[in-house]
Amino acid sequence: MSKQRKLPSHDRLRQQAALLPGYVIIIAWVIFTFILLGWVFCASLSTTQEIFQGQVGLFPSGLHFENYAKAWSSQNVSTIFANSLVYSLISCAALILICAPCAYVLSRFKFTGNMAIQNGFVAAMGVPVAMIVLPLFCVIAQMHLVDNGIRNRLVLIFLYIGINVPYTTIFLLTFFSNLSRSFEEAAAIDGCPPTKTFWQIMFPMAQPGIITVTIFNFINIWNEYFLSLIFANSDTMRPVAVGLFSMINSMKYTGDWSGMFAAVVIVFLPTFLLYIFLSEKIIAGITAGGVKG
Amino acid sequence: MKRNKGMIVAFLTPALIFFVATFVYPIIRTVMMSFFKIENVVDSIGKWQFTGLANYIKLLQTPIFHTALLNLLKIWLYGGIIVMTLALLFAVILTNGIKGKKFFRAVIYLPNIVSAVALAVMWQQFVFSNQFGLFKPFADMGGWAWLDPEHKFLSLLIAYCFGMVGYHMLIFLSGIERIGGEYYEASRIDGASRVAQFRYITLPLLKGVFKTNITMWSITSVGFFVWSQLFSTVTTDTTVITPMVYLYNQTFGSGNSVTERNAGLGAAIGIILAIFVVIVFWVCNRTLKDDELEF
Repeated sequence: MSKQRKLPSHDRLRQQAALLPGYVIIIAWVIFTFILLGWVFCASLSTTQEIFQGQVGLFPSGLHFENYAKAWSSQNVSTIFANSLVYSLISCAALILICAPCAYVLSRFKFTGNMAIQNGFVAAMGVPVAMIVLPLFCVIAQMHLVDNGIRNRLVLIFLYIGINVPYTTIFLLTFFSNLSRSFEEAAAIDGCPPTKTFWQIMFPMAQPGIITVTIFNFINIWNEYFLSLIFANSDTMRPVAVGLFSMINSMKYTGDWSGMFAAVVIVFLPTFLLYIFLSEKIIAGITAGGVKG
Repeated sequence: MKRNKGMIVAFLTPALIFFVATFVYPIIRTVMMSFFKIENVVDSIGKWQFTGLANYIKLLQTPIFHTALLNLLKIWLYGGIIVMTLALLFAVILTNGIKGKKFFRAVIYLPNIVSAVALAVMWQQFVFSNQFGLFKPFADMGGWAWLDPEHKFLSLLIAYCFGMVGYHMLIFLSGIERIGGEYYEASRIDGASRVAQFRYITLPLLKGVFKTNITMWSITSVGFFVWSQLFSTVTTDTTVITPMVYLYNQTFGSGNSVTERNAGLGAAIGIILAIFVVIVFWVCNRTLKDDELEF
């Protein structure tokens, strides 16, 4: 099934014919996906009136790129976009600096509590956010950190890092376990201290794993909704997912549908572009056992 | 070993600080909170009134929580059946020697990287639209609308499942690819049909993968929130409410829908959801034992 041996050509033809129903199902699904995304893209370049007349994709009055300019400048999209970019990039970088050393130590050294920490991280990946949100809110509110200032942003970044620590660590741990120990042994013989060995030899060697997990973290943080909804209270603090939601709600009243679809496209463009270039890496990361929804 | 002690501590500490702050401490506190009546979520422990299991009993007597729980179970069960069936079907088709496998795989997974908010907008404003929707003809035949109160839940389920298939398909895909080709070859020589191969080779060897998929599905299901909020027209829309939405309205929501201020109720919801995941995990481990199969 997975490994097809070379068959005579008429056999191969017959085999492809037998796969016809499979092709039909898959192609129908793929076409639907394209229509769904394509329609939104086309709608973002149409006028609101055209959308309501069912003329999306026909562009009777040409392409309306000004929808993007309008959404970007007047509808806060630039703000939420910049917010998400800052939150995601800082959190992703911090996650690697925090989790890579931790994962390395857990994968290489035997000490009391090692397995307990690993099990804790694995268990945490299954903890519903409902289990942690109330105390987090309580502590953060008591410290008056939701103040729409820089501290508010730091709180959001702290949370984005915190909730992704278990997954990132476990992912990198698997990666480090698969790296050969001979490099460290060679470095130790040459008198290189272990900390230096990690940063200068093992950390660079883990680069493929680090890139994969960073892509996942970026997508997750970019799309994060629930915690952002609770801890980002004002328009100036909001990341894209929550910002888009509040924009949609107001758009229902302003009636600027084309602008709304332009905003939708702007919001999903970064992860979409990442995916176009890195889909193989992303898929390999999921199937390699780094399990995360 | 001793030489490394400083390094071990230094390397573990930052991650553990984050872990304790965002998981360990909040979990312990949530468990405690669920046994107390707490007027305001920011109240210090001194102001909590111990009420034992009263929060849980109260929740189980609240009709709207019943609805929320029932909606969650429906999403988990119906959605789970739909998603797992499609995901397995696609995975089997893609591993059958189809051309363009990588491309198809990438497109089917694509919705998973799109923000749920953006996806929900596409479905609501385009596919289910009453004016120009792609699925409008289906509804017209029956004389109903996709987003009317009776069919909203169905619409929500379809839209949600569409986005989830890709991820679970990838898990099945990697599971099937791990099964060696020689099993299929040997059975083909013995004259087994594709259906028989699927039934007697693929399915039994995928037990562990099923377990992963069901566990992951359950974990994402209990956090069901965005879709529900996007499909609600009013604050408390009982047709699509889920426990997370109820928790949010109860604790952070705007006043009108909240009957009683009690953060302990919110905590109890969190515990109930966690228990649900644990039960599913436990049942999966008991029924889908894959350790007797070595391959």
